[in-house]
Amino acid sequence: MGFVDKIKEAFSRPPAKEIAKKRLQLILKYDRAGLPPNAVEAVKDAILKALKDFPFIDASGVTINIANEENSKGKIEIEVPVRNN
Amino acid sequence: MADKVICITSGKGGVGKSTVTGNVATALAAKGYKVVAIDADIGLRNLDLVLGLENRIVYDIVHVIEGVCPVEKALVKDKKTKNLYLLPAAQTKDKSAVKPEDLVNIVEKLREKFDFIFIDSPAGIEEGFKTAVLPADTIIVVANPEMASIRDADRVTGLCEAMGKPEPKLIVNRLDPKKVARGDMMDADDVVQILGLELIGIVPEDKNMVSYINRGEPAVLFEDSIAGKAFRNIAERLLGKKVPFLDLSYNESFLDKLKKLFGGE
Repeated sequence: MGFVDKIKEAFSRPPAKEIAKKRLQLILKYDRAGLPPNAVEAVKDAILKALKDFPFIDASGVTINIANEENSKGKIEIEVPVRNN
Repeated sequence: MADKVICITSGKGGVGKSTVTGNVATALAAKGYKVVAIDADIGLRNLDLVLGLENRIVYDIVHVIEGVCPVEKALVKDKKTKNLYLLPAAQTKDKSAVKPEDLVNIVEKLREKFDFIFIDSPAGIEEGFKTAVLPADTIIVVANPEMASIRDADRVTGLCEAMGKPEPKLIVNRLDPKKVARGDMMDADDVVQILGLELIGIVPEDKNMVSYINRGEPAVLFEDSIAGKAFRNIAERLLGKKVPFLDLSYNESFLDKLKKLFGGE
C-alpha cells in the first residue's frame, strides 16, 4: 500500500471506539432480551414465508425489532403493513 | 448511613476489583472513617496483596464461619492506615465454603462497629458472586472501557436487578486518555451511554500501579498518583459530595498522529 493510500485509509476508517460502541449496543440488545444473535433474521424469514400467500400484505414493508423495556423481558416487535390500493 | 455495605463486582476478571476495593477503602479510612474490607473471593485471595497485609493473616473468613474464632479475631488491622481492617478470604478452600447466609451473618455482626463495609466480589456470575452481592446496600460495577468487560458488566447489572438489588453504580477503570484521543478506546461517556448506569468514578491507567501493588502500598496514599486521586474522589462521592471528574483529555500532538499513520505506538 502506498503512502497516499495509507493516509486515505486512516481518514476513511471509522475510529475503533465507534465500532466498539455500535457492536456493544447491538450485542447488549440481544443479551438483555435473552435472544441468540440471529434471532431477528430467523424470525423475519419465517414470517415472510408465512405471509407470502396473502396478497393484501406488503411483505417488503415488514419490520422486526427487539424492544427492551425497563423491568421486563425483551420482546420482538413485528410490523406487518397492509397493501393500500 | 444507607450506603454502608458496598459490594465491588464486575463479571469479568482482571478489571481491577481488588485494586478499587483496597484503594477506596483506604481512602475512607484515611479520612477517619472506620472501614473493613472483606475479601469474598474464596480460594483466590488477593485483596491482602493490594493492602500489603498478606504476612499478617492468622485467621480467615472460613475460620469465622467454622466457629474457629469470632469475626473480631480474624480482622487484620492495617499498619499504615488507622481505622482500616481486612477480613481475608481463605486461600485453600473453595467458594462453597461461604454460603450466602454466612456472609449476611458476618456483615450483620460488623455493621454496628464500622462506618463502611466493603465486599470484594469474585469474578463470574456464579454462587460466589451472588453471595458477595447479597448483603450489599450499594453495588459498584467496575468495568474497563473494553468490549468484554462492558458486556459482562451489563450481565452482572441484570443479575443484580433480578436479585432485587438497587441498580449498580459504575466505575470505569484503566482508561487510557491517549488511546481515547486516538479514537482507539471508548471514553467514560461512551461506557455510561451503553450501560446506562450512574458513574461514580473514572480511574485512568497509571503506569505506577504495578509498583504500588508490588510494594503493597495502595495508590491513594501517594499524593502524586493520578489513579490515587481518582480513588480519593470516589471516596468523596460515596460520602455524598459532588466532586467533578478528573480532566483526562489528552491532546494528541502532530507527532503522535504521524506515528499512528505509520502504524507505530
